[in-house]
Amino acid sequence: MKIKVCGLKYPENIQAVAALKPNYMGFICYDRTPRYIDTLSADVLATIPASIHKTGVFVNETAEIITQLIDQYGFDTIQLHGHESPEFCHAFNGKVTVIKAFGVDNDFDFSKLDAYAGEVDYFLFDTKTSIYGGSGKAFNWSILDKYTLNIPFFLSGGISPDNIEEVKNITHPQFYAVDLNSRFEDEPGLKNIPKLENAFDIIKNRTLQMKYGVNEHGYYGDFGGAYIPEMLYPNVEELRQQYLNIINDPDFKAEFNDLLKNYVGRPSPLYHAKRYSEKYGANIFFKREDLNHTGSHKINNAIGQILLAKRLGKKRIIAETGAGQHGVATATVCALMGIECVVYMGEIDMARQAPNVSRMKMLGATVRPASSGSKTLKDATNEALRDWIANPVDTHYIIGSVVGPYPYPDMVARFQSIISEETKKQLIEHTGKELPEYVLACVGGGSNAMGMFYHFLDNEQVKLVAVEAAGKGVDSGHSAATTFLGNEGVLHGSRTILMQTPDGQVVEPYSISAGLDYPGIGPQHAHLYKINRAEYVSVTDDEAMKAGLLCSQMEGIIPAIESSHALAQLEKMKFNSTDNVVICLSGRGDKDLDTFIKYFGY
Amino acid sequence: MNRLNQLFAAKKNNLLSIYYTAGYPALNTTVDIAEALEKAGADFLEVGFPYSDPVADGPTIQHSSEQALINGMTLDHLFGELTELRKRVTIPILLMGYFNPIVQYGIERFCKKAAELGVDGVIVPDLPMYEYEALYSAHFINNNLSNIFLVTPQTSPDRIRKIDELSNSFIYLLSSSSITGGSLQLTNSIEDYYKRIKAMDLKNPTIIGFGISDNATFKKACEYANGAIVGSKFVKLLAEQDYMSKIPAFIQSIR
Repeated sequence: MKIKVCGLKYPENIQAVAALKPNYMGFICYDRTPRYIDTLSADVLATIPASIHKTGVFVNETAEIITQLIDQYGFDTIQLHGHESPEFCHAFNGKVTVIKAFGVDNDFDFSKLDAYAGEVDYFLFDTKTSIYGGSGKAFNWSILDKYTLNIPFFLSGGISPDNIEEVKNITHPQFYAVDLNSRFEDEPGLKNIPKLENAFDIIKNRTLQMKYGVNEHGYYGDFGGAYIPEMLYPNVEELRQQYLNIINDPDFKAEFNDLLKNYVGRPSPLYHAKRYSEKYGANIFFKREDLNHTGSHKINNAIGQILLAKRLGKKRIIAETGAGQHGVATATVCALMGIECVVYMGEIDMARQAPNVSRMKMLGATVRPASSGSKTLKDATNEALRDWIANPVDTHYIIGSVVGPYPYPDMVARFQSIISEETKKQLIEHTGKELPEYVLACVGGGSNAMGMFYHFLDNEQVKLVAVEAAGKGVDSGHSAATTFLGNEGVLHGSRTILMQTPDGQVVEPYSISAGLDYPGIGPQHAHLYKINRAEYVSVTDDEAMKAGLLCSQMEGIIPAIESSHALAQLEKMKFNSTDNVVICLSGRGDKDLDTFIKYFGY
Repeated sequence: MNRLNQLFAAKKNNLLSIYYTAGYPALNTTVDIAEALEKAGADFLEVGFPYSDPVADGPTIQHSSEQALINGMTLDHLFGELTELRKRVTIPILLMGYFNPIVQYGIERFCKKAAELGVDGVIVPDLPMYEYEALYSAHFINNNLSNIFLVTPQTSPDRIRKIDELSNSFIYLLSSSSITGGSLQLTNSIEDYYKRIKAMDLKNPTIIGFGISDNATFKKACEYANGAIVGSKFVKLLAEQDYMSKIPAFIQSIR
């Protein structure tokens, strides 16, 4: 869908709107409206990039004056809003793009458009009023079904932040563009940039603007979607409808950024690891997510989702956890907001991660054991989903990774994308360039990796390396190397790659790291894997444990065993001495001391 | 017109359907149980094929699925058992289970094989409307296999209309937003929901499921819909000694 922003008149505002790259910008050359451009200088329009169509909007103007203003302002498109006849339009046909506008109401006779066929490039349908345009009210869009010509149309009239989602649902084959005007303004002619940004985000999400991003049905190539029982549909649909509106809202952004800064302690440092750099013959940087409050990147997403849940009016939070890091992060933000919190955790995980269970309890959360199936993370996820089915109205489910039904994978990736957003800026400070040669991160479900990759996805020259847990070896029968061992299927609401039997039963994975033993990966990872945008490799328990010890003794940082997998991959790579390499240190190793101690026999 | 359509054309009220998990309590019992249920007076059946992660199911059906998997039940095995089906059973049969085993079997292959064996429809709780319609419906339609959609008290009227359009046998009304094995609780809002659906005058018959466990709940459900489905309660019976001999009395107790 194309976007036109109409009714611009202030030079600075025009430049700010142009920076958003709409497809059309409209300038009203009709003196009986508050958005009349009046004496606006043609120089201002000359600064607009050529890719944006500059549109002059006229009402019953003479052909002579229209021609004169086309020359003066460099309009390549005209929009005729009065009683202009097909013959009048014909005179401009072939010289500029012609849009003929009509006010539409329930009684509108679409047959009168027939005479314009061949004379205009587009129609624009606006709400019918006694004046010419600009009522700010929407007409009943369902009557567009009566429009059957094959000339594409712009939709105008009352499109607002409140109904932009409905606009996206209009499926008319000739629906070409939306016209955004009075409902995105602070005063007539002065556009509100955050409101427009938000609308652009919602509209462009539908049209796959991001090469590796999600489409409107929640798919990344063949992967994703929302394979959920009908009982969960209203919850997930509510989120789908609201999440972009909410997270792009300026108030939300302000509160999110404030908490990330003052509560979590962001930005997390990008540390130039000098001894590592010497050892591996490249500039090695650690993105220090381990220094976040609660000890890992999980808090970024938990803060985002708790703020979202509050805005959705939810009174109760549920979550699943494997190792307990996401459970602790969720319990933390629930304490912060004073919201009831229930965390599901596999019975086996509760026994082997007892300190995190105590932490969650101390933070006021209820920890419920998942005692079905294999009694680990996937079963905790099943129990959380069952809870959500039974409590569809007042409960929000904070999923901890880039998994689950759409919009979770996209939503969690956006909250975690702060990792790569900061990294780009910090790399400029360190190296003078925002792009490194390599970016590495470990992958269980894949949330720290997706956050670390996010803003580098479109920079094709950056090599992305995702490190899975091979456990005791990919062929040992005790592994969590999903892309090596898995194949396509459906798990926890999305089509992805997962470890399963030939009959489609989910296989229990193994890794020494409790945060990486998930039988699937997020659907965006499955897509990046399949199209080779990122390389998926794996590292064994032994390799990871050694890397954890090495990092402790060479850099004075005890990393989480999850992050140690990413560090271990360095041993297997060859670098040029000028290469810049960023590794996401997703969490700290305090929680893993017992495992380290047992392994090394300290 | 498949067996489901014929049934609904012939009988409008008090339809009783029974759900059970294939491979539970033991392998090679699927057709025996179906035959016994038909003789006892069930109108149509849902045969569950087990999955390791059945998120829409409560403890009873979860347990039966786990046991069936331990017993070695797979789609391949089930289709083997069903070669006998149409020699011994005439009432409509639906297969019910989660999507991933079907994906692994091959969606087209699954539909073809099921139809060939005399299966009339499928219920796949985690195959929602968009994915069904846009991505997979052709395989079901080409094999004359009905796909059954679920409706809950939270499903919007527009969506119910769309479901009605895409359905060609019946619509499965959930008695509440819950997993299987709960008990039917008739609150005012649930009665309103049934009334609301009834007033929509849908083209497809409606069958109520989840929480139907005895004569009282069955009767109540049949006031608002064309029939009802009993699942967990019957699966519990299968855990008892001599369950085959108890099937006639069980069906009588519901009717």
